[in-house]
Amino acid sequence: MNPTAVISRRREHAGDTKSPSTWRRSALRRAPVTKRGAHQWTRAPRNERSDELAAQVGRRLNGASGTLAASVLFDSGIEHYVGAFHNPAMITPLITAAASLAASLHGVADRRPAAHRFRDTVYAAAALAGCAGTAFHLYNITKRPGGLCWQNLFYAAPVGAPMAMLLSGSLGFLAERVRDTDAHEDPKILGLPAGRTLAAATSAGIAGTVGEAALLHFRGAFQNPLMLAPVTIPPVAAALLGRASLDSSDRARPFTRWWLRLTAALGFLGVGLHVFGVHRQMGGWRNWRQNVMSGPPIPAPPSFTGLAIAGLAALTLLESRGE
Amino acid sequence: MRQFEEADAVDFVVVGTGAGGAPLIAGLAEAGFSVVGLDAGPFFRPLEDFASDETAQRQVFWTDERIVDGANPIVMGDNNSGKAVGGSTVHFAMVSLRFRPEWFKARTLLGYGADWPIDWQEIWEYYGRAERLLAISGPVTYPWGPPRPAYPYREHQLNGAAEVLARGCEAMGLAWTPTPIATLSAPRGDAHPCVYRGFCRVGCSTNAKQSQLVTSIPRAIRAGAEIRDLAMVGRIEVDEAGRATGVHYLRQGRWRFQRARNVIVAGYAIETPRLLLNSANAQFPEGLANSSGLVGKYLMTQSNQAVFGKMDQEVRSYKAPPSLTVTEHWNYCDEKDFFGGYCWMAQGPLPIEWVNVLTGSKGLWGRALREEMKDYNHQVGLKMVGEMLPDPRNQVTLTDELDQYGLPVPRITYSWGDNDKAMIAHALDQMQMGLEAAGARDVFRQENDTCHLYGTARMGFDPETSVVDADCRSWDIPNLWICDGSIFPTCGGVNPSLTIVALSLRTVDRIKALASRGDL
Ligand SMILES: Cc1cc2nc3c(=O)[nH]c(=O)nc-3n(C[C@H](O)[C@H](O)[C@H](O)COP(=O)(O)OP(=O)(O)OC[C@H]3O[C@@H](n4cnc5c(N)ncnc54)[C@H](O)[C@@H]3O)c2cc1C
Ligand code: SF4
Repeated sequence: MNPTAVISRRREHAGDTKSPSTWRRSALRRAPVTKRGAHQWTRAPRNERSDELAAQVGRRLNGASGTLAASVLFDSGIEHYVGAFHNPAMITPLITAAASLAASLHGVADRRPAAHRFRDTVYAAAALAGCAGTAFHLYNITKRPGGLCWQNLFYAAPVGAPMAMLLSGSLGFLAERVRDTDAHEDPKILGLPAGRTLAAATSAGIAGTVGEAALLHFRGAFQNPLMLAPVTIPPVAAALLGRASLDSSDRARPFTRWWLRLTAALGFLGVGLHVFGVHRQMGGWRNWRQNVMSGPPIPAPPSFTGLAIAGLAALTLLESRGE
Repeated sequence: MRQFEEADAVDFVVVGTGAGGAPLIAGLAEAGFSVVGLDAGPFFRPLEDFASDETAQRQVFWTDERIVDGANPIVMGDNNSGKAVGGSTVHFAMVSLRFRPEWFKARTLLGYGADWPIDWQEIWEYYGRAERLLAISGPVTYPWGPPRPAYPYREHQLNGAAEVLARGCEAMGLAWTPTPIATLSAPRGDAHPCVYRGFCRVGCSTNAKQSQLVTSIPRAIRAGAEIRDLAMVGRIEVDEAGRATGVHYLRQGRWRFQRARNVIVAGYAIETPRLLLNSANAQFPEGLANSSGLVGKYLMTQSNQAVFGKMDQEVRSYKAPPSLTVTEHWNYCDEKDFFGGYCWMAQGPLPIEWVNVLTGSKGLWGRALREEMKDYNHQVGLKMVGEMLPDPRNQVTLTDELDQYGLPVPRITYSWGDNDKAMIAHALDQMQMGLEAAGARDVFRQENDTCHLYGTARMGFDPETSVVDADCRSWDIPNLWICDGSIFPTCGGVNPSLTIVALSLRTVDRIKALASRGDL
């Protein structure tokens, strides 16, 4: 395959003011050489796709997955250290998150459009570990006195945390599926248009992460008004992405893009605010060895960044489709 | 801090800066009155002055000489009275429970004790305000009583001891809940959240504890009130017209006089009657506000018995605030053959306190005591807070002995009634069942402890049967007010301070209302 081949995508909507993105700008017609290519060309010329698109979106998704994996790696590292790794299984997220992070870095560096078996395996394992972790954490909650009650939702193993592992694995897996798509097809996931599937999955992921942030910030009594940010900004992003996933047009969605970028920035801002939150514990950063554990989790907020990146990738896919 | 001249009459002088006094000082100063708060204890700066040391921290207790007698003499000191700006709240255990509504009409609805001259609906409002003032960390929904709003801060994580209570209750089919407690589960203003080291009852060195010292007192000072510490009030002066004119107090070795247009006494249930009785003059030979003869009478304490045992696994019950779970089941269930209610809470005695329990209740000494102390990390306990019934024979009187201030030492007379004993027996059985159901072994009982003080200047409906009216104003002297634990006609089966704070906030509103219509 020619890695520089790009499709020329005609914009036929009157009044569409979307500025062409990079891959569109270097428009070069690609020769219809692959298996079903010729047929595709004639039947639906707008439905063309390029390997570069696949590679680019795939790499972005690898990046999204990696961001989530890094968040999980450091967060579960701290939390499970606090729990003294009293159950040997508590080492699992460290291994899967580290592997997922490695796979993601590999994916980001890999400009080839195709899926990679190593990455695929790691991502699938990470997603499975995320599912198992969720089950484990649920079990941990229900075996305590009170069962499913606020006390245990606040302080037992957090249900939401392994979900981030699941999301990292799933996004990585989707990244590989996008890369894997036949050159002349719209990327598909499980037979569904990849952009829409990804938008829906990311929307759900953001919603879940909002749930986790809401729970923990509620536990903190929203004592600082900025604690409202992750329960107000990302939900809008989730809603916008959800709507995009239901909508088959390829129109530009500048507002959604803008909002996703805001959500991505929030992930970084959150790290800063959590660093400040650690300072608000007794002894502040002078007593960092204790307060990094008892204060707000510094590595957690970038989950939003990872998901927002995935959302942006989903938009790119949606906007490239010609259904 | 603003300072007032002693010769200039301030609008209010408040004796005592604890749960009753401090919210009044802050509220009245914020309403524009000139206020001086006097306290016999020091103005501590916990971050610098408090040590994580049980012995050193005896500095916060009221350990002046007192004579105790009766069939069940009350042990005074650590477990019931403080001497500091902030009062006993500086070393209280922070449990912040509301009364059961029926208790405000105990005589009419439940057939014992006395009715309060205030409706529960009104107090319910003030409970909410008190909880916001103290940023109580509590459960999202409370299992007993009429609906209440969610607590301002979320419940704390349970420690090992709290979990044992929960397991015991679940085995017995009783409801339990994380305790609403006045220490922060998240930052508030300059204060850091609780660090769970468990030194609460000897004074919190981090200021996570929302005592009056860190809540109302700073507000009072900001609003222009003056707090004078190490100022022991010995006498209230009353003029010929029968109005209070100020207070005599000892500070820096010299008796002084602060003039005031109103005097509020908030010295808690021993010192308040002692001051009123000691202020007797020709016009009021039986003491101030005492035409009913009830000043000092109807003293109540609460039963504070416990059961302790050992778990196989480590519990480290002394970590974190001591009472992180509670069951109020027997406060709300009337199927029992005694009057009144009780709750029980998880326990976490510090080492010296624990040695006292082992020597006092188990009779251990020497080698046996040392061996037993090795299991300190495995020890767990449940402790009741039970309603004792008001009885006029339980009382505070003055003796001829003089203390270090030259003031008559109070005599505190106390005997349990049959109802009190029946409740204690019931509670000990229930708690033992709970502890054993949770898996504790070697269970033993601590049968003699009491806590909290009430009732020696009771509020009521008329001057014959009470000392103050519903506004905490004394019937006899219109500019003399009493607002602390001593005004309770009944004590209920929960810890007192939240109710004291709620009454204090209400009194601020009542004084403002009376002032605005020229009735002060
Ligand atoms: C160890 C301990 C644990 C407790 N735990 C709880 C709990 O968990 N929950 C709860 O609700 N309650 C608890 N309490 C009880 C609670 O602290 C008191 O009931 C409450 O503080 C009483 O409020 P008060 O205003 O009546 O008196 P205090 O808060 O005691 O204030 C009285 C103040 O008046 C001062 N004073 C007295 N006489 C004079 C005088 N003549 N001149 C100058 N100053 C004077 C004293 O120095 C003191 O500072 C606890 C108490 C103790 C001691
Ligand atoms: S456990 Fe919390 S409330 Fe108690 S002394 Fe320590 S910081 Fe203060």
